[in-house]
Amino acid sequence: MKKNIIVLVGVLMLTISFGFGQAKKPTIMVVPSDVWCNQNGYMLGFNNQGTIVKVPDYKRAFQENAEVLQVISQINGMMAERGFPLKNMESAIKTLESNAAEDNMRSSKDTGSGVSESPIDALKKVAKADIIMQLTWTINKTGPKKSVNFNLQGLDAYTDKQIATATGTGAPSFSAEVPVLLSEAVLSHMDNFTGSLQTHFDDMFENGREIIVRVQKWDDWDGDLESEYGDDDEELGIIIEDWLADNAVKGRFNTTDMTADMALFEQVRIPLFNDKGRAMDARRFVRGLSKMLKSEPYAIPNKLVMKGLGRATIILGGK
Amino acid sequence: MNKFITKIGLVVLLLLCFSFNANAQRKKKLANKDTQEWRYDVECEGIAKQGSKLVKVWSYSKNPKFAVAQAMKNAVHGMVFKGYAGGGNGCTPFKPLVSNPSAEKDHAEFFKTFFSDGGEFRKYVTAAADGNIAPGDRLKVSKREYKIGVVVNVTTDQLRKKLEAEGIIRALNSGF
Repeated sequence: MKKNIIVLVGVLMLTISFGFGQAKKPTIMVVPSDVWCNQNGYMLGFNNQGTIVKVPDYKRAFQENAEVLQVISQINGMMAERGFPLKNMESAIKTLESNAAEDNMRSSKDTGSGVSESPIDALKKVAKADIIMQLTWTINKTGPKKSVNFNLQGLDAYTDKQIATATGTGAPSFSAEVPVLLSEAVLSHMDNFTGSLQTHFDDMFENGREIIVRVQKWDDWDGDLESEYGDDDEELGIIIEDWLADNAVKGRFNTTDMTADMALFEQVRIPLFNDKGRAMDARRFVRGLSKMLKSEPYAIPNKLVMKGLGRATIILGGK
Repeated sequence: MNKFITKIGLVVLLLLCFSFNANAQRKKKLANKDTQEWRYDVECEGIAKQGSKLVKVWSYSKNPKFAVAQAMKNAVHGMVFKGYAGGGNGCTPFKPLVSNPSAEKDHAEFFKTFFSDGGEFRKYVTAAADGNIAPGDRLKVSKREYKIGVVVNVTTDQLRKKLEAEGIIRALNSGF
């Protein structure tokens, strides 16, 4: 009987450690850069109050350019080989379109009402990932001689930091076709890219995930970040800073901006797991701050808004 | 008398065989020592197929024969601990698979077996150009020493997976 209990406890502990031992895996997507789209004519232009604004037309690029498909497919394959399958942008765009069409057609059987969608929800309906692999290449031609200039940047979608890179110019060739040169470029650069990505992940596991925390207030709230609370009349902004210092890994964060109405904290390092051993992201981390502000002596109602794994905003003064 | 001479001859022959063998073993040991002391150079030779690296390994030896044999070991050792700078032929720099400087010491037992003569390292390397050495790649650097350049193909993806499985390096997806 005792033996059975020991075995059962062992199995349970193993299950718990496997269940909660995994950090949240970032999603990665390869996106052609604005420069590449512009150079190859895949841009949409519109007039924004007299200024012509150009935005990349990814859908047309995927429909018309076979080279971009070849390069993305090769990168996807090599990343999958490393146990990191990527989100495919072309498929993500198609899924968004089909979801939008379905949502438009959907209505309640009982009341006939449509699916609820706020303007923010509509804005958020874009192809997104936690890490963007921004891809640029140019073909250099000198007479019959061709070479490929290749640049792959890994960008954190929340902190805007470049966390991985691989760039360089391939060997010039008189005879090789462009797809062959592109294939060689991917082959020769991917190891460097995954190497620098690995360094980023190693740093993340050692020093925590880097996130951005924003604090804002609703227009109609009568308090602000300079309001004073507690026995020692501490300003709310300082109280929030103290909470971050206590809860960030090794107390690491930067106060980038602090006014009466808003605060921006960058390079906030959060632990990958909470006290219960569950994987943590920006939302779960900032939820602690949200709860503290809701409770006495502050009693500030607030709304917590998230953006992926690495960005969370608290809006003070109501839901 | 004739019988006696035959016996002596046989003994001398055996002694000679032993001494040749001992000499060969000593040279092999020296070559292994050179690898352990990282006395070799690795340079990129071009873009290989996916998952592999085509490299030229320059090994040093008093006997060119041992330098060729040692090149295979040096190539794998180089990919694991040394990497190489980029260069011509579209080559980009390659960082060593093991980035932790103390990994060789920490996993000394594994690497000793892995890089032993006939060890597992041979699974991850093949000779390009059938092991032939170009005339310009056989250099006499001193009175008694040669520097031999051998082009080999190292399957770095497989090698990396082996090191990941042994827990020497982290996989890109480990922890997620």
